[in-house]
Amino acid sequence: MATITLEGVSKAFKGKPAVDGVDLSIDDGQFLIIVGPSGCGKTTTLRMLAGFERPTSGVVRIGGRVMNDVPPKDRDLAMVFQNYALFPHMTVAKNLAFGMRVRRVDRKVIDREVASIASMLGIEALLGRKPAELSGGERQRVALGRALLRKPKAFLLDEPLSNLDAALRAQMRFELKRIHAQFPVTTVYVTHDQVEAMTMADRIALMEGGRLQQVAAPEVLYSEPANTFVAGFVGSPKINLIPGQVVRDARRPTIRSMSCDIPVDGTAGAVLASLPHDNVVIGLRPEELRPRRPATGGLPAVRGVIELIEPLGSETHVALRVGGHVLTCKCPPRAGLEVGSEISVEFDPEHMKVFDGDTGMRLG
Amino acid sequence: MTVAPHRDEPPGEAAARPGAGGGAAPRGTAFPAAARRLRTKVLPAIIGNLAMTIIGVIFLLPLAWLILAAFNPHASPGVVTPRFSLANFTQALQSGASGAIMNSLYLAGVSTVIATVVSTLAGYVLSRHYVPLKGAALVVIIFLTGLPVTLLLIPIYQIFVSIGWLDSPFYTSLVLAATSVPFAIWLLKNFIDQVPREFEEAAAIEGSGQFRVLLTVVVPLIMPGVLVSAILTFINSWGAFLIPLVLDANPSDTPGAVGIYQFMSANGQVQFGPLAAYGILFSLPVIILYLISSRWLSGGFSFAGGIKG
Ligand SMILES: Nc1ncnc2c1ncn2[C@@H]1O[C@H](COP(=O)(O)OP(=O)(O)OP(=O)(O)O)[C@@H](O)[C@H]1O
Ligand SMILES: [Mg+2]
Repeated sequence: MATITLEGVSKAFKGKPAVDGVDLSIDDGQFLIIVGPSGCGKTTTLRMLAGFERPTSGVVRIGGRVMNDVPPKDRDLAMVFQNYALFPHMTVAKNLAFGMRVRRVDRKVIDREVASIASMLGIEALLGRKPAELSGGERQRVALGRALLRKPKAFLLDEPLSNLDAALRAQMRFELKRIHAQFPVTTVYVTHDQVEAMTMADRIALMEGGRLQQVAAPEVLYSEPANTFVAGFVGSPKINLIPGQVVRDARRPTIRSMSCDIPVDGTAGAVLASLPHDNVVIGLRPEELRPRRPATGGLPAVRGVIELIEPLGSETHVALRVGGHVLTCKCPPRAGLEVGSEISVEFDPEHMKVFDGDTGMRLG
Repeated sequence: MTVAPHRDEPPGEAAARPGAGGGAAPRGTAFPAAARRLRTKVLPAIIGNLAMTIIGVIFLLPLAWLILAAFNPHASPGVVTPRFSLANFTQALQSGASGAIMNSLYLAGVSTVIATVVSTLAGYVLSRHYVPLKGAALVVIIFLTGLPVTLLLIPIYQIFVSIGWLDSPFYTSLVLAATSVPFAIWLLKNFIDQVPREFEEAAAIEGSGQFRVLLTVVVPLIMPGVLVSAILTFINSWGAFLIPLVLDANPSDTPGAVGIYQFMSANGQVQFGPLAAYGILFSLPVIILYLISSRWLSGGFSFAGGIKG
């Protein structure tokens, strides 16, 4: 078990930066999840931790020790590769046992451990097969099992559940959390899946274009996004990001957007007054937009035409055209809405997020 | 050798399916279509097969002669059916064939092991590590592949004289290995190039050092390449004539390829029968080697299942 720190770590391939000035510190036993769009540098970051890529600049520490020149075999890490990297010439059992055989673990112990991990992952029946004879999901579980058979300083897991069906994925999520609770080994986990990130992570690091956008606990990432990219990446359906203008001559700090004057209180309001320009972007989560009930409490509201209704059973997503913008609203099921009809939605400005329109950074 | 008939489909089948060959023609016009088919498909196929059969016979004749002559105590350069007899084999064995074949086995075996180990290590380094002037080194290696041994033999002989390595089967097999190493390096490097690095990375992160990675992951994955390289080295050393002739004058070390000459010159005339028998005995180990390794080679070279996508 160990802390992991990245200090100004960059990696360029032929001059093109893949990871750019990443500063990140992961506490001992923490479950950190790296998320971000495809090609943002998640795998490259993990490979630098593992020692397969040497950082172009910056320092990688594991357990306080500088790792830049330590070869992978001496780092005492376990890794699940994005593409599995199962040994094609070995059976599943041999693949699972590989690390223990390297460490000359007793045969009986190996057999016992392999059997127990195989039953946890539901692959007991496959132990005698070669990787070519497995399905994608089965291969992925073998790859996961090979890593989990270790008690390393840290786990590096690159999309370890990406190829499993929904039910199996939920079950494996649960198993991984259980293992982590039992043996709190520092874990760096890469995923595309927001649900995985939100449910499993102690902290989430959101990357884009090789840079860290924000590192925070899941709830904080959701409620306090640092910029428009983070706000847009976290949450489903996506947050509504609508441009607006600061109203300078109002008595309270106010933003005009979609022909509606929205009062802004608190720190965001104070920052607004000192903004050198008038461009802002407001962020409204779909669940914070409610069809206006007959009696209203004086909340700001906008009127629009329903363009699309997506009933999901437990809730209904509604696309509402307001002027030149389309807002997504999360409505209760069977709300009696019709495509083409006009409705008003209201929202509480207190939950609204305000971003600098030029830089995308959050205000307040 | 059987020449596989190069036929797309049996004619009967084509007639049964109106849509095939002649297009969707009505039954009445099927006959001209069949005639055209005869002209454009069947005739060239017959000519092609005939040509291949003739070429096959030309290749098979010497082999037929070898086998027939070996069992004919009165063998001559012509192909004649023999009265079956093993006399030639006895004579070949009595004149030292078994000892010569043992010597050949030693030379070929030792040089194969040495060349394969050296080439695997060199191929791995050339494939995976930073080597200064790697491109130039590879060009030199390919150049060495084509260099005639005859050219090097005199200097090698002089070196052997000065360090006292002459008349030693082991040092002779070193030279035999050296003649095979360039091609083997080049072959094995290309095989290793095809192995995805993730396999080695997976082994390394599990704690394997370089040698263990090479032995437990890389070598098993390139086994077909290692076998091909080993077989080529073996055959090269097995048939080597000039190198053992020059470097090892000890009569008890004479390998088969050199020993076979006694039947060509003894008493001033060629002894065809024992020569053929000796030839068959001499080629048996190589044939056995092919048979054993074909089981491994047929598995092919693939990483199926190891890597996604
Ligand atoms: N060996 C390499 N040589 C050149 N460019 C590379 C190499 N590895 C990665 N890159 C580039 O670096 C960038 C980051 O790649 P990386 O694999 O880290 O993305 P990722 O976040 O893991 O994406 P995904 O979610 O699709 O797996 C990409 O633009 C990729 O093309
Ligand atoms: Mg990746």
